[in-house]
Amino acid sequence: MITAERKPLDEIIAMILPFKKVLVVGCASCVGECAAGGEKEVGLLGSALRMDARMTTKELETREMTLERQCVYEFIDRLTGLIDQYDAVLSLACGAGVQAVAEVFPNIPILPALNTSFLGQTKEAGLWLENCRGCGDCRLHLFADICPVTRCAKQIFNGPCGGSQDGKCEVNPETPCAWHLIVTRLEDRNQLDLLEEVYAPADWSKKEGAGPRKIVREDQQN
Amino acid sequence: MNKENLELNVAIFFCQQLDPDQDSNRRVIEKELGPGIKFFPLPCSGRIEPLHFLHAFESGADLVYLITCPVKSCRYQQGNVRAGKRIAFAQNLIREIGLDPERLILINIDPPLPKRIDLLTRELLEGAPVKGHSLLSRL
Repeated sequence: MITAERKPLDEIIAMILPFKKVLVVGCASCVGECAAGGEKEVGLLGSALRMDARMTTKELETREMTLERQCVYEFIDRLTGLIDQYDAVLSLACGAGVQAVAEVFPNIPILPALNTSFLGQTKEAGLWLENCRGCGDCRLHLFADICPVTRCAKQIFNGPCGGSQDGKCEVNPETPCAWHLIVTRLEDRNQLDLLEEVYAPADWSKKEGAGPRKIVREDQQN
Repeated sequence: MNKENLELNVAIFFCQQLDPDQDSNRRVIEKELGPGIKFFPLPCSGRIEPLHFLHAFESGADLVYLITCPVKSCRYQQGNVRAGKRIAFAQNLIREIGLDPERLILINIDPPLPKRIDLLTRELLEGAPVKGHSLLSRL
């Protein structure tokens, strides 16, 4: 999932300053899961903004709603007929969601209330960890399903580096050494032979250097 | 009872495990103090959400209390611990708005249980920090 964190409130307040009617829109998918942009967070932000406006004698009218996903047209369409009544939308979605809404409603400013962070997993309640860089060249099957590009501070494909201690990374002792995890899991799976191969560096051209990426699936198209 | 605090709008969220007779006991003090005091019984303080506090302030509360069971006495084990974390989160948010976070007060009561919520409330209002009306409730 895509993780995000709310921007500082003063930054959001400065963004909405020119607008009197603001629609606060959450996204119940990824950023809902990471407690940044779901229904609760929309409620909190809406309430905080209204209180700030009252205390600073600004005119502000807000309405709150949460879409299932802000990055899919079928859900964005719920804003049709409503969005025109507002001067701006304050979006609690990832950057993809903000842009998707803006593409459907290009004449209304869609303001990002979140800073999009990383692709990650919910490790436990209240803890999200980055575990995918979206490099476009996935080789997880070679590394016991642990990504050395994301989870090794040195991003090495032919580890371990030799610097880890007690299974912790030497760069950040709070982080488990990815290569310690890889070796341990491959050992448990009787697949240590996978490490006899020397792996070429990641092909970053699949991620960067050619502008925004896209996926086309004709079988999914109308 | 502190006279100035009697004039404040006070919202009290509390774990109803504290007082098995909370329903009748809180009515005693509600009757006495009128609409300035509002009680919100919770099945466990761990059910509280920061949004509840914000809505209380937005609705004009000058002081908001959350009263939880004594430390390590939550019947759901972690409820009052979680409540404490949510208070801290809400305090940071109201600080960002410019409201005094000390208007949001966590009370972990001392053992033993049960307690009478009306007597607890009197104690709280007696010792409440004199903050006066919040900017929001004055508007």
